[in-house]
Amino acid sequence: MNFELTEEQQLIGQSARDFGKQYIEPIAVELDHTGEYPKALVQALAKHDFMGLLLPDDVGGAAAGFVSYVEVIEDLSRYCAAVASIVNNHTIAAYVIQQWGTADQKKEYLPSLAKGELLGGVAIYEHGPTPGVGAEALVATKQDVGYVLNGKKAFVRNAGEAGVYVVFAITDPALGAKSLTAFLVKAAAIGVTVGEKLETMGLKGCPVADLTFENVVLAETALLGTVNGGAAIASQALAVASVAEAAQTVGIGQAAVEHAAAYAKQRVQFGKPVATLQAIQTLLAEVATDCHLARLGLRNAALLIEEGKPFEVEAAMVKSFLARLGSKMLIDTCQVEGGFGYSESMPLPRMFRDIAGTNLLDAPGDFPEKLIAASIA
Amino acid sequence: MSILSPEQKSIQQAAKEFVAKVIIPNAAKFDKSGEFPMLLLEASKPSNIFAMAVPKEFGGLNYDALTQALVLEEWGYGCAGMGTTLAASVLSMDSVLIAGTDEQKRRYFKPMLNAEIGSFGLTEPGAGSDAAAGTATAVKKGDEYILNGTKCWITNGGFATVYVIFANTDPAAGVKGISAFIVERGLPGFTIGTTDHKLGIRASNTVELLLKDVHVPATNLLGKEGEGMKIAMKTLDMARPAIAALSVGIAQRALDTCVAHVHARFPGKPFPGQTLQFKLADMQILVEAARETLHQAMQLRDAGVPYSKESAICKTFCSDVAMQVSATAVSLMGSYGYTSELGKYMRDSKIMQIYEGTNQIQRLVISRAVLAHAPAAGAAQKAGK
Repeated sequence: MNFELTEEQQLIGQSARDFGKQYIEPIAVELDHTGEYPKALVQALAKHDFMGLLLPDDVGGAAAGFVSYVEVIEDLSRYCAAVASIVNNHTIAAYVIQQWGTADQKKEYLPSLAKGELLGGVAIYEHGPTPGVGAEALVATKQDVGYVLNGKKAFVRNAGEAGVYVVFAITDPALGAKSLTAFLVKAAAIGVTVGEKLETMGLKGCPVADLTFENVVLAETALLGTVNGGAAIASQALAVASVAEAAQTVGIGQAAVEHAAAYAKQRVQFGKPVATLQAIQTLLAEVATDCHLARLGLRNAALLIEEGKPFEVEAAMVKSFLARLGSKMLIDTCQVEGGFGYSESMPLPRMFRDIAGTNLLDAPGDFPEKLIAASIA
Repeated sequence: MSILSPEQKSIQQAAKEFVAKVIIPNAAKFDKSGEFPMLLLEASKPSNIFAMAVPKEFGGLNYDALTQALVLEEWGYGCAGMGTTLAASVLSMDSVLIAGTDEQKRRYFKPMLNAEIGSFGLTEPGAGSDAAAGTATAVKKGDEYILNGTKCWITNGGFATVYVIFANTDPAAGVKGISAFIVERGLPGFTIGTTDHKLGIRASNTVELLLKDVHVPATNLLGKEGEGMKIAMKTLDMARPAIAALSVGIAQRALDTCVAHVHARFPGKPFPGQTLQFKLADMQILVEAARETLHQAMQLRDAGVPYSKESAICKTFCSDVAMQVSATAVSLMGSYGYTSELGKYMRDSKIMQIYEGTNQIQRLVISRAVLAHAPAAGAAQKAGK
């Protein structure tokens, strides 16, 4: 594989950094304070073609490859990972429709998703042990024509702002998770309610809430993929999303280590900049190393996705790596900035809160290590 | 588990009850608002807990070091921000215990008998880890000292009644000119500057203190002129384990929260695989090892044995454990972790690695102790071969 980005990939990354500097940086602190969904910013993202990155030309997408996509996510995350999170959840919803949707579904949703007129979201998790299990599991009951949805999905990103959700429901409680099936559900559908926006530690501005479905009537055309074929879609969507989430972690970590290094150069203690102390150099060097290795790993996974090759194990390795070391990037860079850096008037506390949301192990019992271990021949 | 005396057990139990009744129900509210929880001081009056470090002869509870650590762990369990308020007040008292005359002790400890708090003012913008670089000055004039300077990141600064403030009486002598003073709230020229809004321990009050021609009676000098840095270092030796105790409390709380969530999510079911189970086991190992390290240091102190190295070790280890356990908890519990109070434990843990001597400074102390003596000849030979 080639470790260098192509000229096009570099350019798209540069345009994301330019966008971040011009549009995101000025509002990042306020966004973190208010936690309000940044509507105008998302419109600006759309105007600059960042909302349809993975979609093809013919629906108005940017037809960027997955390597370019993770480059953009990393670069946006340098300025505000919440914004990158909005883009990622939207893009993954669009990606799933692009991959598994019928021609009609693509025609209906992709052009407006690509333009950012319609925001996408993905509803996979539930409060029960695994999707499809427990009292609140979302169940799709087959009708003569179409389906009726009842139940609840948990921790849905872009909730309340998305116009369409990729929703996973079981069609047969007896089969449980084996009957997981994907549906496209419009936010405006009768019976869909967005719960109270959940208080998150960080990534504020990317709304998270539960979705409740009460006798939501779906036409046959809302089915995405095949009946009981949802598990494969869900795991693929999660795997792809996790590679982009890793790019969020790396973007935050990179911005933090650069900030901490600059701080260490000007913070004088014991008569010299603390950057001259080996203890500080070690902290900075380890974070920079973790960032670099994670970036190589996630670009490798992204390239595999782009080339249509199996990528799940590599994606799981990146996830496993960052579940251990992601938050540590900010734990250590904050240490460099000491008492000064602990103040919310400095940028690292926001990044500390944000990064913790980018390496969550969200499927209990289904840890990335399982897949990795199984792959070792 | 350390063997606790019946009295220690009953004090621990009382602390647990107080924390459950007063601290836990209010923790989220003050974490969010960043306001100082005055109700904490009011509610502490009956137990007199803010006088836990005050000797009997001055009307205090006279708890030994281990017992103080037991109380602080419980407070850290409830809210490390509120726990910091207690710990920082005790910290300031430690300076007076170390260097104060009986008269100074009587005066300094009196407010604590009424659930008022003290504050320790050492750090300055240019003097954090390098505490000796402080530029605040104290000039003797007749039977007074006139103090000038700025202190920053001062815990309890906005709400304390009494302060221990460090200022230089002989700037030409550098660190050997630093002296410690008792300063009472409300003296002309002594004002509270800006309040810090922090990543964590948000219920604790952190401010700037501004001293402009503050006239302090000469009788408020602690020890002798120039003994300030020695007093500060001894104080921090005594006080560091308090941070360890808060840290153990945070780590235990993070673990308990995970366990409660796992039970809620898998009611009557087998718990999911070994990955989760072993991570919980690792957390338990760390929490217990941290607590033992702390208790051992406290038992040394109570026995009157030097414990400077152990003090640094327990501060470093326990705060690193709190950070690691709380960060693992957030990640392991996924979106639930990220939308729950687990985030607070992670934010609170971070400062434990920084304040009262960063863990880098502690490692400096520990490494000096490690390298102070070459190992016995036999061991060195073995290592060489």
